[in-house]
Amino acid sequence: MNRGDSHTVRIIDIIEGTSVDGPGLRTSIYFAGCLHQCPGCQNPQSWPMDSGTEMTIDEIMKIVEYNDFNVTFSGGDPLYQVPGLIELAKRIKTFGKNIWLYTGFTFEEIKASATLRPIISLVDAIVDGPFIESLRDETLLFRGSSNQRIIDCQPFKNTMCID
Amino acid sequence: MIQTVLKRDGRVVGFNEEKIKSAIRKAMLTTELGEDESLIQKIAVRIAQTGNEQMTVEEIQDRVELELMKSPRKEVAKKYIAYRDKRSIARRAKTRDIFLEIIEAKNTDITRENANMNADSPAGMMMKFSSESTKPYVDDYLLSERTKDAVRNGYIHIHDKDYYLTKSLTCVQHPLDKILKDGFTTGHAESRPAKRIETASVMACISLETAQNEMHGGQAIPAFDFYLAPFVRSSFKEEIKNLETLSGEDLSEFYDMKLKDYLYQSVENLTGRERLLQHAVNRTVGRVHQAMEAFIHNMNTIHSRGGNQVVFSSINYGTDTSAEGRCIIRELLNSTYEGVGNGATAIFPIQIWKKKRGVSYLPEDPNYDLYKLACKVTARRFFPNFVNLDATYNYHEDWRADDPKRYEYEVATMGCRTRVFENRYGKKTSIGRGNLSFTTINLPRLGIECMSIENPEERKEAFFQKLEDILQIAADQLNERFSFQRTAYAKQFPLVMSRLWNDSERLGPNDSIESVINQGTLGIGFIGLAECLIALTGKHHGEDAEAQKLGLEIVTRMRDRANEFSEKYKHNFSILATPAEGLAGRFTRMDRKTFGVIKGITDKDYYTNSNHVPVYYHCSPRHKAEVEAPYHDLTRGGHIFYVEIDGDATHNPEAISDIVDLMDKYNIGYGSVNHNRNRCMDCGHENAIDNLEACPKCGSHNIDRLQRITGYLVGTTDRWNKAKLAELKDRVVHK
Repeated sequence: MNRGDSHTVRIIDIIEGTSVDGPGLRTSIYFAGCLHQCPGCQNPQSWPMDSGTEMTIDEIMKIVEYNDFNVTFSGGDPLYQVPGLIELAKRIKTFGKNIWLYTGFTFEEIKASATLRPIISLVDAIVDGPFIESLRDETLLFRGSSNQRIIDCQPFKNTMCID
Repeated sequence: MIQTVLKRDGRVVGFNEEKIKSAIRKAMLTTELGEDESLIQKIAVRIAQTGNEQMTVEEIQDRVELELMKSPRKEVAKKYIAYRDKRSIARRAKTRDIFLEIIEAKNTDITRENANMNADSPAGMMMKFSSESTKPYVDDYLLSERTKDAVRNGYIHIHDKDYYLTKSLTCVQHPLDKILKDGFTTGHAESRPAKRIETASVMACISLETAQNEMHGGQAIPAFDFYLAPFVRSSFKEEIKNLETLSGEDLSEFYDMKLKDYLYQSVENLTGRERLLQHAVNRTVGRVHQAMEAFIHNMNTIHSRGGNQVVFSSINYGTDTSAEGRCIIRELLNSTYEGVGNGATAIFPIQIWKKKRGVSYLPEDPNYDLYKLACKVTARRFFPNFVNLDATYNYHEDWRADDPKRYEYEVATMGCRTRVFENRYGKKTSIGRGNLSFTTINLPRLGIECMSIENPEERKEAFFQKLEDILQIAADQLNERFSFQRTAYAKQFPLVMSRLWNDSERLGPNDSIESVINQGTLGIGFIGLAECLIALTGKHHGEDAEAQKLGLEIVTRMRDRANEFSEKYKHNFSILATPAEGLAGRFTRMDRKTFGVIKGITDKDYYTNSNHVPVYYHCSPRHKAEVEAPYHDLTRGGHIFYVEIDGDATHNPEAISDIVDLMDKYNIGYGSVNHNRNRCMDCGHENAIDNLEACPKCGSHNIDRLQRITGYLVGTTDRWNKAKLAELKDRVVHK
């Protein structure tokens, strides 16, 4: 989870202005690498940790700033590159945008992990949990399977301490 | 003595006796006796000497027939007549082929020129027959040689040429207040002024429908909310009076009492007069809702123009902040959201939200709640589109927030995109005016013709020279058509030229329309800026900053010339980002035939719409907005900004308002959002999945895939022409 440094991240793709990864048009940043490897995953090509290309936080911020939309972290699973993710999230918050995070970890797992916990106070919403093919439902809002939840991180902001 | 001959195409040429001789000789050679040179000579000389000074080809041939019949060689006369017949049929063969396509109800580009029209119905067929047979007349007798050449060689396209002879104008924004206040006559029956919302809504329909039959373009209402608001109040008053009769109480204090909003609320816990008041409000809301539903329903079922197409109707609204106006807007949006019939999306009217800061856009604005509702409705129903009253060029210096008639200073658009606002010959307004006619320039062709010039500067210069020539031809042609249109009598357009068009009230039925139509606009349109730029620079304006610079230079030049033409010809010329439907494929086909397949230019079945970034090009909505925005200011005759979004927009109405924010930020005049919407025709299930084949709920293959074509919606793609289908296939979402 602590893979990588705080200046760069490995990125599969950045989609500028999608409407499927959270409310409004969003800049979606797809992080490379995922160990959840859920059957029926939309992006299995994003599983290898060395997939995608390395990008600096500055390079990504240029795209975020140009588009001026709110931002979504998806993947892969962004939580395998925590140092870069935290740095990027801070920069995006300073720029004044809201952040949604898609992850295969559950919210409880994130809270329980000292490494992952700081993320909660940096993002606005987390869509959590693995994709479970048998629970797939196309009518769900911004989610693939019904076990996944959209968790508003606002109430947790003050109760979580940043390490 | 014959001096000149009037040919079939209208040209006059010198008489040549040899032509008569050769025709008789040919006929003689097919007979047993063969030729008789002295008889040939005798007949030719006699006709030449006894004929009138100028004769038509047919008249001369009639004389030849007569002379041969009088001669001993009657068998030659027979052959000659047979030959004439054959030629004459051959001349009509082209018409015959076209007619056969119509008769057999084939799916061809002739019958699919216009997706809003069912050309297979009897009335539709009649319309196509007449349309196809009047076009040659226009060519032969009304167009100048230069124009005809430019049309024949694919440089320009004259829109609605089939209507040329009728002298009709394109479109008008209806001053519905006049209709509702004074009533009108359709030529068969008179309508009295409206008193209640139900009547007002029906009269709005009839006004649109009647005018549609008098014009060749679309019909729009510029301030639907303002116009209908008074009838919400009168219907409310009616309800109060009913309650007075019922209860015996005097409720007259409610008649003109200012209400904050017309919102339905249960009367369960209310008593006394409060209960009566709320009941009247509830009844009014119900009636307005019904009336709006009826309006939408009528606009999708009342046929016009001989019964083959529904009215190309559009309504603009969003800026009336009175409780009554807000009631109209709310109930219109609610019934649009619900859909027509069993919940299907209404194809008409095209609805347009008038977005204005301080009124109908920002969170603190009085109509912000309705704006949010509008975004939710468009996420499901594709409408309303958005017209940006805050764009610098849409600003009107006389607009005042406290002016009850401020809508007269608000720009309104035709749903298809036609914009009429500036006015050199009357008041600056959209109302009571419209486009007169428009002609489109084929930009890619001009570009292709310059491709072979090596030196970029010379290439550019050559291009601008060609552009200059074609602009001149287009302006002359529009001016010529204007000269023809202005000779029409007011009585030819009974509603348009007695009520709707500005100043038409002062025309008598037998007056010509000349004195009033100069308030309309003449549109010079263009198609395929993207392909033109590929020809000139190798790249289109979506992918290359240099190409964008040149693109702006081209359209700026067109705008400047339009202004000069306005001065020179004394009309309102404007540049139009053409909504090309039938044309998208025709120009491309012609250019491919002339120049072959050129990569990026003629290798598709269509040219890109006006100044748009090509539909196949992947880019973010922001980039598209940034690139296309500056063209909106230059194309005052009309423009539209489209964004194709991925996914199910009904889940994400914020995405719609984000796009309106782009319009606000980049000074874009008019825009709308395209997305997928599938509807199962058997069980009604809706979703937004790409290329859906079978309903996920009931398995039915009877799926209606709603799409937008040149501004309006079409439920099935059966009526799309080949080029537009190819374009649809190539459309990519912007992300």
